Amino acid sequence: MPEVILNALPYVIKFGLLGFAVAMFAMNLAVVLTWVDRRQGSMIQDRVGPNRAVAWLPTPIAQGLALGPAVLLALGVLGYCFKHEVEGPALEQRGIVFSQLAVLLLWMTGAVISAKVKARGPRNSFDLWIQTLGEPRFIFFGGLVAHVLLFFASIGLRGTPAGVTFAKVTSGAGPALFALAAVFGAGYAAFVIRNEKRIGLRLAGLLHPAADGLKTLFKEDFIPPNADRFLFNLAPFISFFPALVVLACVPFADTLCFATVDGKIQIGQLAASVPRVGVCTEGALKLQVLDFNIGILYFFAVAGTGIVGAALAGWASDNKYSLLGGLRAASQMVSYEVTMGLTLIGMIMVYGTLQVDKMILWQQENTWGIFAQPLAFVLFFAAAVAESKRIPFDIPEGESEIVAGYFTEYAGMKFAMFFFAEYIAVVTSAALMAAVFLGGWSLPFVFRDGIHLTVGSTSVFDAALPHGAIVALGAVGFILKTIVLCWLQLVIRWTLPRFRYDQLMRLGWRKLLPASLANILFTGFVVMAIRTGGAAVEHGMGVLANLCNLLLALGGLGLLVWFAVFMCTPRKRKQLLATTSAQYAAEVGGTRTLRMGA
Amino acid sequence: MTETSKTLGPRKVSGVPIARPGRTAGVQTYIPEIAKGLAITMKHFFHNTKEMVLGQRNDPVLEAVEEGINTISYPEQRRPYPTRFRGLHRLTHRDDGSPRCVACLCCSTACPAQCIHIEAGEYPEGDPKRGYERFPKRFVIDELRCIFCGFCVEACPCDAIRMDTGMHAAPYDSRDQFIFERDLLMTFPGRDGSHATANPRHEPGESGHPGIDRAHGH
Repeated sequence: MPEVILNALPYVIKFGLLGFAVAMFAMNLAVVLTWVDRRQGSMIQDRVGPNRAVAWLPTPIAQGLALGPAVLLALGVLGYCFKHEVEGPALEQRGIVFSQLAVLLLWMTGAVISAKVKARGPRNSFDLWIQTLGEPRFIFFGGLVAHVLLFFASIGLRGTPAGVTFAKVTSGAGPALFALAAVFGAGYAAFVIRNEKRIGLRLAGLLHPAADGLKTLFKEDFIPPNADRFLFNLAPFISFFPALVVLACVPFADTLCFATVDGKIQIGQLAASVPRVGVCTEGALKLQVLDFNIGILYFFAVAGTGIVGAALAGWASDNKYSLLGGLRAASQMVSYEVTMGLTLIGMIMVYGTLQVDKMILWQQENTWGIFAQPLAFVLFFAAAVAESKRIPFDIPEGESEIVAGYFTEYAGMKFAMFFFAEYIAVVTSAALMAAVFLGGWSLPFVFRDGIHLTVGSTSVFDAALPHGAIVALGAVGFILKTIVLCWLQLVIRWTLPRFRYDQLMRLGWRKLLPASLANILFTGFVVMAIRTGGAAVEHGMGVLANLCNLLLALGGLGLLVWFAVFMCTPRKRKQLLATTSAQYAAEVGGTRTLRMGA
Repeated sequence: MTETSKTLGPRKVSGVPIARPGRTAGVQTYIPEIAKGLAITMKHFFHNTKEMVLGQRNDPVLEAVEEGINTISYPEQRRPYPTRFRGLHRLTHRDDGSPRCVACLCCSTACPAQCIHIEAGEYPEGDPKRGYERFPKRFVIDELRCIFCGFCVEACPCDAIRMDTGMHAAPYDSRDQFIFERDLLMTFPGRDGSHATANPRHEPGESGHPGIDRAHGH
């Protein structure tokens, strides 16, 4: 018996850890989303939104919080670099990575300090010096120039004798400068706050949802006298559970390959590099909780049970509004699930698989699913928003008609569970859409062994990258895509008014459903045409896919540049001193930072 | 009668008729209109988030006409009151730091809310001011009862009570904290930071003093 347990232990650890990580990802993102929804939802209306939650820390603890991690990071980096001496290309790589990181940290620290000094005025000689550098954005521009110069120097000097010295210098000075910048930035913060009595930890208002969550735990657990007590208590769990477990079928990053020495898997050491095609046979760890052949069907099977929770809550509450809300929720979710499923049929025809990780591999080799099936993306997005019962499809909750719909009678943590399930559903649907339509963890031209920029059969740029870096890049890409899709759902919520009930049903059954059926028909014809078209058609499609990837890469770069320019462009403002109020405010240097007098 | 009957009934509306927006294909398909709406939301989102993150918000008072977040985060920021705002009362000082008030009871008499209570005191025997004027032993204002009409300031013959502090009463938690005694009222400065007023005051014996006191009579 102990052997059985011992044999099962790695699986328990693997699934337990992965499941925990995925659930934590969904829940934390949901918490952040509740905050973003309120805070930014106010800010688009030119208001500040809830940001008052604050935890007061004694100054020594705040100083420790600033200095401790920075010192640990610096020591870790220096220790790592001294312990692991490397030669040749590895040295070059270390020089590039750490010099770029050092420049990044330097300009970020400098810009933050400069902005602070600009806001509150100089207090010491360092403040005076940093003021001579000009506006904070000049420091950012300087950092950008340093990044580009370093990059081109490392590329241009590669292979020459000067390149060797350059690699030696950057691999030595990079980590040292990085450690220095980290410690200096934290030390400056600790020095500036030394005279404060206490430091308010606000985290940009992020403590607000945490405070709200804590509050709901202590609220009265109200149950209506004539309610069905058992079902009333069960319903929130039935709503909450599927929202949490559906992510199990979505992979978070590429398969991790561990290094093997003499046939033994080395946990704690990744394979240096992996081939472009194929999966490593030993020491592979799929970054996915459940890996089974029905793949995406699991998502629909589990997500469908969420309907039961809403319907039960509506029925068990012994309230007519709740019942109406429950009925509406059930009918709406059933209607839109049909569209969701039928939309994905087209994707499944294109990919030829039900497994989400294989879908992503197809997208890595070809192009993102949104280019293959643009109509399907729009339909699926609309259906997914309707499925999570959010504005403009929040008829089951409809505050103006039926109080709060199916959870009218719920209070405290049970209400919070319904509320939370809604936000987790946003995260999970965004993650699924990112995986199926936006390439999951795959990025354009980034493959399992490195970057290969090819159009058709001509190769433009090739660079090998270590396995760990590729997987990490993919994971970051996946999370970013998920966040962007979540954000898009929030923007829709902030913009659109609610549909009427008949409009909702008409949209679902008369517009989205026929459109998804037509999509299946059209996709069928196209897939058949490509399969019977021969090599020429296949090659043409390959070039088209490459062009789509090129478009994506250029668009992404363009967005980055636009964002940097946007962040650095100051807004022109006109001061109006017509009132005596404004004149008084101007006399004391503006109201923005004025402390209260009375 | 004819005048009245003319104004009754539907009147002819003058003005330029504006064409109703038609139902274009964009409106009917819903998608382009959604995109437009989302674009506007995103514009506000990016601008306001950027300004919030970089600490470049509008000054809510000086740049209030500009687009962006103009919220005043009250306890940390506040709008200065205009010059003629009638705020908390203050008792002005003489050069020696004593109140200018001569306890004539004009203000408490003028007060429609009857929130001022004064107990007058006589200067001791031999003081040149004795018989010429008195001083307030107690000068109490109930700031909860006050209606901030400013009649007390108008009534004061000595410019001893003013409402130019530019402050409002802080939200205390019990009523007795709103009862402001003489010494507290004398701690508030005016908007310019001084406890005096611009109007001169002449002590007995100084040039400019009319020289009237009990010994010399009117």
